Amino acid sequence: MAGSSGSAGCAVPEYEVPELHTRVFHVGSFGALWKQNLHRADLSVQEAVAEDGAAAVAEDLGCGLETAAELRAVCSIDMLKSPDKEEDPEIISEDSSLITLRIRKKALERREETIIVDRTCRQETFIYEMESHATGKRPKDPANLIEEGELFLTLNIFYPVIFQKHKDHKPYQTVLVLGSQKLTELRDSISCVSDLQMGGEFSSHPDQAPEHISKDLYKSAFFYFEGVFYNDKRHPECRDLSRTIIEWSESHDRGYGNLQTAKMEDYTFNDLSIKIGFPYLFCHQGDCEHIIIITDIRLVHQDDCLDRTLYPLLIKKHWLWTRKCFVCKMYTARWVTNEDSLAPEDPCFFCDVCFRMLHYDAEGNKLGEFLAYPYVDPGTFN
Amino acid sequence: MSCVSGLQTDCEALLSSFQETDNVRFEVFAGLWRDRRFHTIFHGQTRPLEKNKFTQKALDLAWRYFLPPYTFQIRVGALYLLYGLYSTQLCKPKQKIRVALKEWLEIQRFQLDLINAQHYDAAYIFRKLRLDKAFHFTAMPRLLSFRTKKKIRETQLKEEFKELSNRVTRLITSDVLEEMMNVHDHYQKMKCLISIDKSQPDKALNLIKDEFVINIKNAILEYQQWQQNKMKSSSKAKDSEEMTDRKEGGTSQDSEGSERANALAKIKYKSYNAVAMASKSRRHRQVKLESSESGSDQGKVKSPRCKRSRERSQLTQKGNSLETKDRIQAIKKEVVTRNRRMPVITEEENSSEEDLPRPKRKRTR
Repeated sequence: MAGSSGSAGCAVPEYEVPELHTRVFHVGSFGALWKQNLHRADLSVQEAVAEDGAAAVAEDLGCGLETAAELRAVCSIDMLKSPDKEEDPEIISEDSSLITLRIRKKALERREETIIVDRTCRQETFIYEMESHATGKRPKDPANLIEEGELFLTLNIFYPVIFQKHKDHKPYQTVLVLGSQKLTELRDSISCVSDLQMGGEFSSHPDQAPEHISKDLYKSAFFYFEGVFYNDKRHPECRDLSRTIIEWSESHDRGYGNLQTAKMEDYTFNDLSIKIGFPYLFCHQGDCEHIIIITDIRLVHQDDCLDRTLYPLLIKKHWLWTRKCFVCKMYTARWVTNEDSLAPEDPCFFCDVCFRMLHYDAEGNKLGEFLAYPYVDPGTFN
Repeated sequence: MSCVSGLQTDCEALLSSFQETDNVRFEVFAGLWRDRRFHTIFHGQTRPLEKNKFTQKALDLAWRYFLPPYTFQIRVGALYLLYGLYSTQLCKPKQKIRVALKEWLEIQRFQLDLINAQHYDAAYIFRKLRLDKAFHFTAMPRLLSFRTKKKIRETQLKEEFKELSNRVTRLITSDVLEEMMNVHDHYQKMKCLISIDKSQPDKALNLIKDEFVINIKNAILEYQQWQQNKMKSSSKAKDSEEMTDRKEGGTSQDSEGSERANALAKIKYKSYNAVAMASKSRRHRQVKLESSESGSDQGKVKSPRCKRSRERSQLTQKGNSLETKDRIQAIKKEVVTRNRRMPVITEEENSSEEDLPRPKRKRTR
């Protein structure tokens, strides 16, 4: 099978480089091993919790019924609550001996004093909303309920262009996919501006900007995981983008071993052999390259979003700065011009309205000399 | 000090007072928890994201004490702590405890031990957590995102909670001793068979001491005793240090670094001498053990616990031999009273150059 290299027989993930990434393991066998080690009750995604009677406890622990009943009282969570009155969890009590609380109190006071605009709070709310918008959702149609024992993969998909200002914090999206989903399902869910790009110069007929975006014209793409290129071959016009790379690697024996190809649509994530924490690649539009890191794999939990149709589920995205129109400074740029006799800089960005008002007369005739290209802002997906 | 390191201090304080009770009952733990009003640890957080992150950190921290190499008592305490933290958290839905596949096998063994030893309260609580679906069954303990080195910050956990385990005890178990005894008996018999006098082997074949198995056993016992004493004395010393630490308010930072390094080098030199004086059969083991311990302390500069544990391992070195102890105690007092807030240089000979610039980095924190 493609992707099974060497140590794929081992399904218990362990570190290859401590704290950084694991050894190669097979995702499906890993899931199967977990299921072997758990009871049905651990896996169940149903909310109904069976009544936990003393008899069950006694059976599980091999103790007497009386002991079981006693345990229930002794180990109740009420044992940890203070006997005195209810407290407000938002307020830190004055007399606490806990160091954590003392530090937190100080931090809160400092925040109160120094805060001018509560901007961090806005960002944080956004992140939180993204993370939790789908938690606990269940499908209307029970057929779409995620099965118990399904695997969840957390993927970080990095943006292709890394600006200087992102040198330290590389922007990425975080996506949850299911083990049983095909690679193509992830491929279709990745949003990238290069898919929306329109080619060509349209200064003389701005209304005829083509309807076809790059996504419809150039459908080839591949994922690279552990020595295998998974090419998207769903459409007849798809090309094998990995061929040049493989030929390059083979032509001079560059020490990359035996690179293989496979069809993206034939593989689910369960079929893959991967390392957690290791950077892989997604490439589309010929040369738009996204680093992909699988940060986590786990079994589905009843509190997760259980609607299969919502996956791949985006749970984090970077808020990208948008380029505004040079004229109104308000709307996101839709056009970019070069060698523009009417613009103060080159290149210059315009929103649709300002672009037309400045560059064309009432009859739609072109004024001045310029080259105009449709522009898609990276902030489009914000 | 960040909120998380405060959290660690609080959890460790709770666990060590639980350890002091020499008891694994949940009632005892619950009493300690109530005394501290430990559930209030989640109070005062208004932002949901902050709340989630903090809870996740707390669970992760407690979880690590639940795994080996910590002592049975600490592990049970950590289980109760997990139960308490999980049940009293204020997040909705509740944050889950991450358990990796590799750890799970270990945990199941622990649960069996609990049941076999009839610690039903602990076993019941683990079972309850499992029924409450408090776990996320994961591949690895934490999310891995190919972080750069500088972002990885290892928090160092309390050494005192660890099981007294080392290469010596791992190497020589009772099984191994028994096996050795059998082999030796067999060997002795074989020798008798090929000798002229069938009841006793030839003198020429007498190449090994007859009672060597017993000798090994005695050496091991002696070693374990010594190690226990060492642990005790070091924790005591640490406590007294913390007292002085508090008195001075912990304000004095670095300075006079080289002076202190010299003083410590002296101590180090003396304690090495003490090691050399130990019995011949134990000498190589001791030295080896010390250097490997200190090796693991290396490179974890930013950890808040680091400095203390450094000091501590320095002190454990001192506890090596009873003869030198008093002398060293005197030297230590000198050092201790002069300045507390300095990172201490580890035992390794070549580490002194690397260690000197550390105070600077500490200051920036």
